Amino acid sequence: MTARLKIILSGLMVGQLGSLLVLFGNPVNMGVCVACFYRDIAGGLGLHQAGVVQYLRPEIAGFILGAFLISRMKGEFRVRGGSSPILRFVLGFFLMIGALVFLGCPLRMILRLANGDLNALVGLFGYIAGIYVGIQFIRKGFSLGRSVKQKTASGYTMPLFAIALLALLFARPAFIYFSTEGPGAATAPVWIALGAGLLIGGVLQRTRLCTAGGFRDAILIKDYHFLWGLVGIFIASLIGNVTYNLEFFNLGFEGQAIAHTSHLWNFLGMTLVGLTAVLLGGCPLRQTILASEGDTDAIITVVGMIAGAAFAHNFGLASSPAGPTFNGQIAVMIGFAVTIAIALSAVRSEVTIGKGVRSRG
Amino acid sequence: MEKTVCIMTFHATYHALGFEKVLKEQNIDVKLIPVPRDLSSSCGSAARFRCQDLSSVKALVDEYCIEVDELYEREEETDRPGLLDRILRKK
Repeated sequence: MTARLKIILSGLMVGQLGSLLVLFGNPVNMGVCVACFYRDIAGGLGLHQAGVVQYLRPEIAGFILGAFLISRMKGEFRVRGGSSPILRFVLGFFLMIGALVFLGCPLRMILRLANGDLNALVGLFGYIAGIYVGIQFIRKGFSLGRSVKQKTASGYTMPLFAIALLALLFARPAFIYFSTEGPGAATAPVWIALGAGLLIGGVLQRTRLCTAGGFRDAILIKDYHFLWGLVGIFIASLIGNVTYNLEFFNLGFEGQAIAHTSHLWNFLGMTLVGLTAVLLGGCPLRQTILASEGDTDAIITVVGMIAGAAFAHNFGLASSPAGPTFNGQIAVMIGFAVTIAIALSAVRSEVTIGKGVRSRG
Repeated sequence: MEKTVCIMTFHATYHALGFEKVLKEQNIDVKLIPVPRDLSSSCGSAARFRCQDLSSVKALVDEYCIEVDELYEREEETDRPGLLDRILRKK
């Protein structure tokens, strides 16, 4: 099988599972959403008190365990890290703020688009704009630094976190929150959600599908390998939606599920996501996969995203179908300022490639 | 020798871009690609060039002090293009 066929098939699988999970009970246009699911987990753990988005989504545990198991089996579980962990935490934090102002991660953006939500098209333009800006920093020498080998125990953080989430989900202790209404109460059966998550985690560990990587490579090195995977997600989800979720299909801007129609903030929210994702070297889904195969820098990024989700709801930063909040708009602006400051600080302006100039990694 | 291609990997995309620029200035065929899956589970950028240019490339890497990670030599892709590839190329 050619590499291109593999990446397209993995995209088709993600898109199809995205639609199927809606059929089985997940919120409309949110069969899979990495940002939303971390936000739900933050809620389930009581890190924020937004009652409608609290659930320990088993899909996330599935992504982690699927990627962990397959990387172990293939000898690719390598524990490494030390590439600016705190900067990654901050970038992950603001990535989540941008995603929750738009209302979805880049994967959900594609799934929303495949269900006719044109607000996601505005988000897509913003995402590409953010990636384009991030690429300019990469061209100028941006790097968070090289990672090095870390203690093996660090690499088990994510699989143990996933097992703890599943244990709490099944045991339902009193201190874990479960939404009784809203998106957090719309859930596919646990075993189906977990199975879909395992499949996605395993396959994406093999194919490295990444929504940020797809656009980054297309713009930066004119390589369309990963972009084909994104086309696959869109096509399979579109087919799934018009086949068995047709009652929810709605082409236009108005009345979309868990979305708002503020073009400016849909655009800017996703611009912030694109910019932070390209600087981090991967979208939330890709960060989750990397974190599960021993990349401790990606683990810190995921922790940053969970913290961002908790703050987003505690401080009223997350948008709602009524639109973005004033606090959210301020937070996105702060996010741009902080992210650009980090990007500038990590551009090695003193190091240029040229005769006799020693370049450092 | 002509049947093999060389793949160079880097620690940072910036270095891959510099490598490409220097080689292109010297009219050496080079193409940036995602790191081949069998070499790494990471998703960074690598450079592909003809192994017959290897000695010139090594000299340029030294002369311009380009930081590189690993060099791989591999058989050129001899797989017959898949059905999808053929359909897409016909377009």
